[in-house]
Amino acid sequence: MNRLEHVLMALQALRANWLRGLLTALGIIIGVASLVALTAISAGAQEGVSSDLRRLGPNIILLDGEFVTLPNGQMTATDRTLSNGDLAAVRQLPTVTAVGQRQIVEMTVSSGRRQTSTILTGIDETFQRMHNYAAGQGRLLTAADDRAGREVIVLGSKPARRLFGGAPAVGRTVRILSREFTVVGVYAPKGNLGPDNLDNQALVPITVAKRVLFGGESIQGADVQVRSQPDVASTMDEIDSLIADRHKIGDGGGEDFSTEDQTQIITAAAAATSTFKTLTLALGAIALIVGGIGIMNIMLVSVTERTREIGIRKALGAEPGRIQSQFLVEALALCIGGGLAGVAIGLVAARLVSKLAGWPTLLSLPSLIVAFASSLAVGVFFGHYPARRAARLAPAVAMRHD
Amino acid sequence: MDDAVIQTTDLRMRYAQGELSVEALRGVDFTVRAGEFVAIMGPSGSGKSTLLSILGCLERPTGGSYRIAGEEVAGFDESKAARVRRDRIGFVFQGFNLLLRSTAAQNVELPLFYAGIGRNERRERTRAALESVGLGERADHLPRQLSGGQQQRVAVARAIVSRPDVVLADEPTGNLDSTSQDEVLAVLGDVHARGATIVMVTHSREVAEHATRIVHVLDGLINADESLVAAAP
Repeated sequence: MNRLEHVLMALQALRANWLRGLLTALGIIIGVASLVALTAISAGAQEGVSSDLRRLGPNIILLDGEFVTLPNGQMTATDRTLSNGDLAAVRQLPTVTAVGQRQIVEMTVSSGRRQTSTILTGIDETFQRMHNYAAGQGRLLTAADDRAGREVIVLGSKPARRLFGGAPAVGRTVRILSREFTVVGVYAPKGNLGPDNLDNQALVPITVAKRVLFGGESIQGADVQVRSQPDVASTMDEIDSLIADRHKIGDGGGEDFSTEDQTQIITAAAAATSTFKTLTLALGAIALIVGGIGIMNIMLVSVTERTREIGIRKALGAEPGRIQSQFLVEALALCIGGGLAGVAIGLVAARLVSKLAGWPTLLSLPSLIVAFASSLAVGVFFGHYPARRAARLAPAVAMRHD
Repeated sequence: MDDAVIQTTDLRMRYAQGELSVEALRGVDFTVRAGEFVAIMGPSGSGKSTLLSILGCLERPTGGSYRIAGEEVAGFDESKAARVRRDRIGFVFQGFNLLLRSTAAQNVELPLFYAGIGRNERRERTRAALESVGLGERADHLPRQLSGGQQQRVAVARAIVSRPDVVLADEPTGNLDSTSQDEVLAVLGDVHARGATIVMVTHSREVAEHATRIVHVLDGLINADESLVAAAP
């Protein structure tokens, strides 16, 4: 009972000076709010990376040919160095489970007067399966489309929306260069991989792509699926030497193709995310510390301003511990209030970021508790020194203070 | 000597000021008995304020013995000294020293609050103390809504509310005009008449004559002790 009264009495000073209290707590509010919002954003990004890995299909090596260099030193515009024979040879490797061809070019796709620029991707059925494409509307491409050379197209959600608005796309016709393609489906959204929007694609059968869009039979690239993750590195080496052999590239000769581990791309993105997370945590922590210093500063000013009051209280029998706890309660109240407000603002900010910027955010109770607890710790730590200073004032000296 | 409320023996106080040190008290033997009203007089720098400060346990003497109601308190640390002030001493200061944001009643109940006394008893004793200085109607006024004399009467109520062994008053009328001075001296006289022991520092002979005994301090020593009541009871 008396303890409660003691706390209430300590809070009287805050009530008498509430504007200053609010301004002082602002540092804590901003610190906690940014901690909450930023951890939610970076947790969302991290979750995004691991779901990328699941969604894109595991254990994939990207194999790309370069443009053929003519004897006069010039490069051709269309002919690539990879051949069907190369791919067949790769498929024979024991650790390789599938090889999917792809042919990628950015093109303008139109429907009536609407048009949009999209990544036109010629693929075979294997590629589609490897990358876990799923039909959102209609159907995906089939091996039969490929064999028969049907001029059909499966759109990503972005070009579908651009070209047809909300209306069903299946059965409509789109125009690429001078050819018309029938839309047979829209694939389910795949989200982003790093900076790339995987939903801004249009899929056509690889044979059709080669015949009508790119010209020639050469292969731009292929995705190679490997049996298991530990085999990826060694398989990549095997592919390198296999194709180098087939292309008769000696030691030290310039390679005319490249291999890349898709997992590496994603883990690089993950590393960037965790750097981002560390940075945001550091920023939030700095904001909190600055807020804490602000509180210490104001509490010191308050102790000086109230030196006479402290002297009076001591003369009337307040023990040093009472004075210390009075000032500590004030600092803690500022931090608790600031911490609660900060958590609330941080939650709202995370929501807004999700809504407006479209970034995924992930809120977790532990991160809220940690953010709030750090504001408490800041209060205890930075409130301690001013409170101790108040407690140590000599009553006779304090009362002479004006 | 059993009824001695205050008893100092060879009390000494030395202030260090860099290389120099100043001896403000040079061996004061001073006794106050229960029910006395003692005025301490002396020119400025004589050590009378230092003496009152030590009597109030606001400062610790550098030598000698100081007993309050038989208890030796000269060596007490700040926490113990705070408890002595809370339980045994009431203060009235020259500058009133009321908390400006608190009402008269809140100011008066502060010593009881620090003594851990429950709310109901605090209310009751606060009301009685304010009535005894004639301010029962002003309990909810802030200090700035009161005259100087009224503020000092609130301070007197605060000094007596915990029923201390002794009330120490430091120039209680120093900041007041003559009407307010009479008002405060009348209240102090009243408090004394009801049995309180009072030690008051003043430089004014006129004020000192309200006491029953005057002690003169000069150069850190007591150099005269005159009784104003022919026949002490």
